[in-house]
Amino acid sequence: MSLPAEKSSKISKILRSKAQEFLLNVREKANILEQILQHFYSGADTGPCLLALDMIFSNLFKDRKMYLEIVPLKAVEKTPENESRKWLMGNFENCYLRIVQCMEHDNPKVTIQALSTAMNLLAMEGKYPMERAGATTENFVPANKLKSILMKLLTSKQNNINLINKYTEYLLYDDILFVTWKLLPSLTAKSNPNQVYIMNYLMLLEKLQVFANLDTKYLCAGEYSIPITFDEVLTKKYLNRVWQCIMVWEHSVQTHKQLLIVLLEKVLVHLDKPLLLTDFLMDSLDIGGPVSYLALQGLFTMIQVHNLDYPNIFAKLYSMFEPEIFHTKYKARLFHLADLFLSSTHLPETMVAAFAKRLARLALLAPSVDIIIICQFIGNLIIRHPGLKCLLHNETSELVKYDPYVMEESDPLKSNALNSSLWEIYTLQSHVQPSVASAAKFINTPLPSVEWDIGKVLENTDNDIFDKEIKKISKAIVRELEPTKDGLVISTGERVCQYWQLV
Amino acid sequence: MGKVKNKKRVSVDAIQKKRQNQNAKKQLNPFEVHINKEKMRVLGKKVKNEMGLPGISRAKAIKKRKHTLLNEYKLQHKSNKFMDKRIAERDNVPYEDKIMARFAAVRAKAHSKKMIFNLAEDEVLTHRGQTLNEIEKFDDPRSDNEDSDEEHKSGNLLSTFVKDAHFGGGSSGKEVKTHKQLMDQLIEESKKRKAEKQKIKEATVELTDKLDTEWKDLVQLVSKTNKKETNEEKPNLDDYDKVMRELKFEARGTVSDRLKSEPEIAKEEKEKLEKLEQERLERMRGFAENNPQKITHRSADDLDDNFVYESDTEENMLTYGDDGKSNVEVRAELNGKTIGGNSDIEDENNDTNTDDDSSQNDSEEEDPLLDLKEDDTSSEEDDVETEKSTNSNKDIGIKITSKEVDSAEDDYKTDETSTEVNKSSQKRKLEDIVECNKPKQPKNEENIEDKNELEKLELPFVFSLPEDYDSLMETLQNQSIICQKVILERMIKCNHPTLSQGNKAGLGLLFDYMLRYINDLFANSEDSKTFKKNCKLLSTIIPHIFELAQLNKENAHNSFVEVIKELHQEYRKKKKQYPGIEILIFLKMVSLFFSTSDFRHQVVTPCFVFMEEMLKHCSVKSVKDLCCGLFLCTLVAEFTALSKRFLPATINFLAGIFCMAIPKNDVKPIKVPLTFKSLSKDLVLTSDYSKKKIETKFDISNLFEEEFTDELKVDIMLLALRLLSDFKENCKELPSKSELFTEADKYLKLVPMKNYPKVVQEDYRKLFSDTLSEISYLRWEAKKPKSLRLYEPKIVEVYDGKRRKIQSREKTERDKLLHKLKKETKGAVREIRKDKAFLGRIKINQKIRSDKERRDRVNKIVAEAANQQSELNAFDRQKKKKK
Repeated sequence: MSLPAEKSSKISKILRSKAQEFLLNVREKANILEQILQHFYSGADTGPCLLALDMIFSNLFKDRKMYLEIVPLKAVEKTPENESRKWLMGNFENCYLRIVQCMEHDNPKVTIQALSTAMNLLAMEGKYPMERAGATTENFVPANKLKSILMKLLTSKQNNINLINKYTEYLLYDDILFVTWKLLPSLTAKSNPNQVYIMNYLMLLEKLQVFANLDTKYLCAGEYSIPITFDEVLTKKYLNRVWQCIMVWEHSVQTHKQLLIVLLEKVLVHLDKPLLLTDFLMDSLDIGGPVSYLALQGLFTMIQVHNLDYPNIFAKLYSMFEPEIFHTKYKARLFHLADLFLSSTHLPETMVAAFAKRLARLALLAPSVDIIIICQFIGNLIIRHPGLKCLLHNETSELVKYDPYVMEESDPLKSNALNSSLWEIYTLQSHVQPSVASAAKFINTPLPSVEWDIGKVLENTDNDIFDKEIKKISKAIVRELEPTKDGLVISTGERVCQYWQLV
Repeated sequence: MGKVKNKKRVSVDAIQKKRQNQNAKKQLNPFEVHINKEKMRVLGKKVKNEMGLPGISRAKAIKKRKHTLLNEYKLQHKSNKFMDKRIAERDNVPYEDKIMARFAAVRAKAHSKKMIFNLAEDEVLTHRGQTLNEIEKFDDPRSDNEDSDEEHKSGNLLSTFVKDAHFGGGSSGKEVKTHKQLMDQLIEESKKRKAEKQKIKEATVELTDKLDTEWKDLVQLVSKTNKKETNEEKPNLDDYDKVMRELKFEARGTVSDRLKSEPEIAKEEKEKLEKLEQERLERMRGFAENNPQKITHRSADDLDDNFVYESDTEENMLTYGDDGKSNVEVRAELNGKTIGGNSDIEDENNDTNTDDDSSQNDSEEEDPLLDLKEDDTSSEEDDVETEKSTNSNKDIGIKITSKEVDSAEDDYKTDETSTEVNKSSQKRKLEDIVECNKPKQPKNEENIEDKNELEKLELPFVFSLPEDYDSLMETLQNQSIICQKVILERMIKCNHPTLSQGNKAGLGLLFDYMLRYINDLFANSEDSKTFKKNCKLLSTIIPHIFELAQLNKENAHNSFVEVIKELHQEYRKKKKQYPGIEILIFLKMVSLFFSTSDFRHQVVTPCFVFMEEMLKHCSVKSVKDLCCGLFLCTLVAEFTALSKRFLPATINFLAGIFCMAIPKNDVKPIKVPLTFKSLSKDLVLTSDYSKKKIETKFDISNLFEEEFTDELKVDIMLLALRLLSDFKENCKELPSKSELFTEADKYLKLVPMKNYPKVVQEDYRKLFSDTLSEISYLRWEAKKPKSLRLYEPKIVEVYDGKRRKIQSREKTERDKLLHKLKKETKGAVREIRKDKAFLGRIKINQKIRSDKERRDRVNKIVAEAANQQSELNAFDRQKKKKK
């Protein structure tokens, strides 16, 4: 056990040689197969066993060793050859079930191996079917076997993200994709399933495509078989049927988020009656946090495409800008949406000013990446609404005691933002990071006529800023050494030694 | 000589004659003068052609043409030509020049192509048959003799011989010798004389040689006696002489490097510092703000050419503001103290500082006479030390005292007693500053200990640079702090870049290794003891590392960037977790080495990004994490102390700490920042701590603490409050300072203060004491109005009444040339016409002459023919007659 890798490689070598021996003389060396199967059922060395079995059975399929000609209305003859074939087929069925079960193995590598073996054998069976039912040679996909695989994928025991990702490779084949769609309604839970199941289900759904793939490929197509026709109408019907079930389920925050993502990215376009989702989206909008951002996007499409009229959507959007947004994954999406929402030039200036002020306030304590985004965002707002220039350039020479803008007011129209000024941006010019300080300098001069492209900065991360600063070549200035009492004290602005007892 | 004199006289005569001639010429024949008539006379105008000499000039012209045109005419249609090719023969040059030219030509010929590279065979110059080189050797010391030879050589014959040969021939009656005999006799005699002379010469040479050798023997005796005499004389030398001689031979400084006096050095130092500060400020403001410096005052005559009157900017006009104060600070001296703006006092402090420093420098010089003085200063320092100990809250004290000074300043004139306060406080402040700026002065005892240790260990004096990191580790490991310092110092000294070429790179490597060494030291310090020891080590060796950095700045800078890159890569793997302590030390070193106030700095800016990331992402899960965060906040405060900028992440972090200190109840939930979620209640102070005294400095060993004790909680709160007040101080000038700190203040107000010690409570109160100041609305900078373009008045340098066209230089040049061309063509045409007339004249003359000649000849022939005819006729007649 000291060297498991070496050992397993040794075992796989032994297994392979045995399998080759068996394949040379199938009928006489039947005990070898039994040995291997027993070893496999015992649960030891699953990985190498899977490989060996994969090889054995796919070769058997290829050599047509597991093929029974079935003549209608005629019993199969009992020849020793047929016996052996039957025996092999029985073993194969059992073995296949075990292989599929291996997908619940603890070792993620083994599960993926199991999936690929299962799919491989499935493909071989599709190409060289075990029984010929008749003269029809339509593309045959062993549906029950695929169903067993899918059931394992949609398990309620563990998160199968890796397996599902692996499975997407097979979804590139049109036949598999179509059969999966076909099977999906029957696999959908009707009542409240558990969260893991929902998660797996949604993840799978996210990967499924409604349309046929661009380049048509078939996994199970034999040489002479007619390919399956991919019917988009049918898949859409399946999707709608499935979605009705999904909407009934109870969702936690996590699954809710995932649901919204799937909805927005895959489903919404294909639904028959998307307006039915309005209630769901509105409820989601009130939940707050990332869910709301996603729901907002849904609502935006509804408003844009399906002509939905949502009252007071801007107040909702306004209230979404909280300090917490900077810690969420979806802030880029939010900024993008907000940019879209506020792109109209017919919005009241009071409201846009309130947005600008609120964002500026948030920027004060935001991470530097976000400050840069916000600065450009505000700049764009002002370019779009020239009336907001009073936020940057106020002719009155009077002084104010405090900022007239009311941050706590939830209604943007009452926040009195137009009487304020963007002092926050001015303050940000003293940010320690040069990139931020330069970004905030846009208020010093009259604005350009072309808007900034926010898309460029939305995806920036701290690492990008770091790398950029490292790359910037400037003259490094080494301080002049000044005589100090302690080696670690600098002459001006020393804080560490002032506050900390280092020695 | 006589000849030369003659020549001179001749030349003088010639000159006189010439002059006379000139005078004669000037007396013009009035009939030859033609006066050009002038229509209008202009006063002061110089006229060139007042009068002309038409006859003379015509004659001149004709003469000239005779020489040139006539010659050409004569040679017309002739292919052969006579040319005198002798050098300088054709030109009219004086004889000497001609000779010179010919000589030069000969010399030039010698420099023919073949000879150019034949340097060795130069022309040998001789003088009387000897080469010049030989003469210059001056081998022959007896060259004097030659003078006497001269008369013989000059060919003077003996008088008897002359008598006989020249005059005794005819009448003397002696037997007459033939010429040949005479000549033989002459030759014989001259040979004889020569032989005699040679003999005498040899004899004299022999004698002089002998004399020389004898003299050499004698000289020794003579010199010995001389030496003795001088020895005796030496002690008699005067002190004055001694000094004088010393002064004479003392190395004299050139005028340019005059020794600078102390105030001058101080001034230079100050100027240097000021320049550095100026540069720092420029860098701090960043490149983006490179708009030209504003001109404070714009004159009505400003022409927008950015020209500034120096006096305008430097000297302000004395005006009085609304409150009646003048804008120029008026200084007055009272009891030897200046009253006036605060800046004056600062200056004074600086001055005294520098004085102090210089005096210390003095004392450090090794001068036995100043021993006493040194003692004095040290005792003074002791005093200061004691004062310091009495002043327990010294660090905060600086600020307070400065405020006191300010307030005291205001009351100065009215209250006499307050001056006393002022004085004392000022003195205190001064001492503080002195204390801060004092250069490292090793305490004597410690020094002695160190020395002892060093002597015991007997470190080698020469260290080679380590080849790799492990060898450095070997040399440094298991050495005491002092030894490590000395090793490093010697390494640098032995391998100074000025000593050898490769040393600079080697020292750069050493610097890298040292960084790694420090990094490893702190990465491996598991408990507070080793950590503190390492800190001590670092603080002792840092000046040398600094020296290394200064020796190879580029390298230091690059290696720092590399280290921070590496650390950041390490950190990226676990973004939610605080990295090791070594990074804190590293960042502290960055603040030591580089100027952190720059707007953008290649080392410092990435550090800022890094710190922000850590403060933002890392979740606080233990005491260590919290202390790390606080250290980072302190570092940010240190980095930004000069530039007065801010980092929001630090404020958020402090807000999180305050949030941790709020006692939570479930009735009113408080939003806790994400990174602080796991420890949201751990800083709540439950026991009463108000009476206890606490340390003013936060002990670094808390980094290794496991649990939050009450003492630690109080310490953390105190540090956080101080940092917050620092940040507030930095942001004092910003318009939205209150908004920046709303969050932190909100949490802070919820923290119950009654359990905390007084110091903490005081700090807490101070934070909320400052009042809101008014803010003005944002405004774009007013654009500079563009002034109308003014036309310059037309100024002509010299006015001569003529209107010249204003045109470009090229055009005037061209016009001038055109004018000249016109004039020249005119002149040329006239010349040609005159030439033609001249030639015409010659031709007609020739024609006339040839006609005449022909006529004469014809006449002659006719005459001859007539004559012949007449003769023939006569002959015929005779014949007829005969018939």
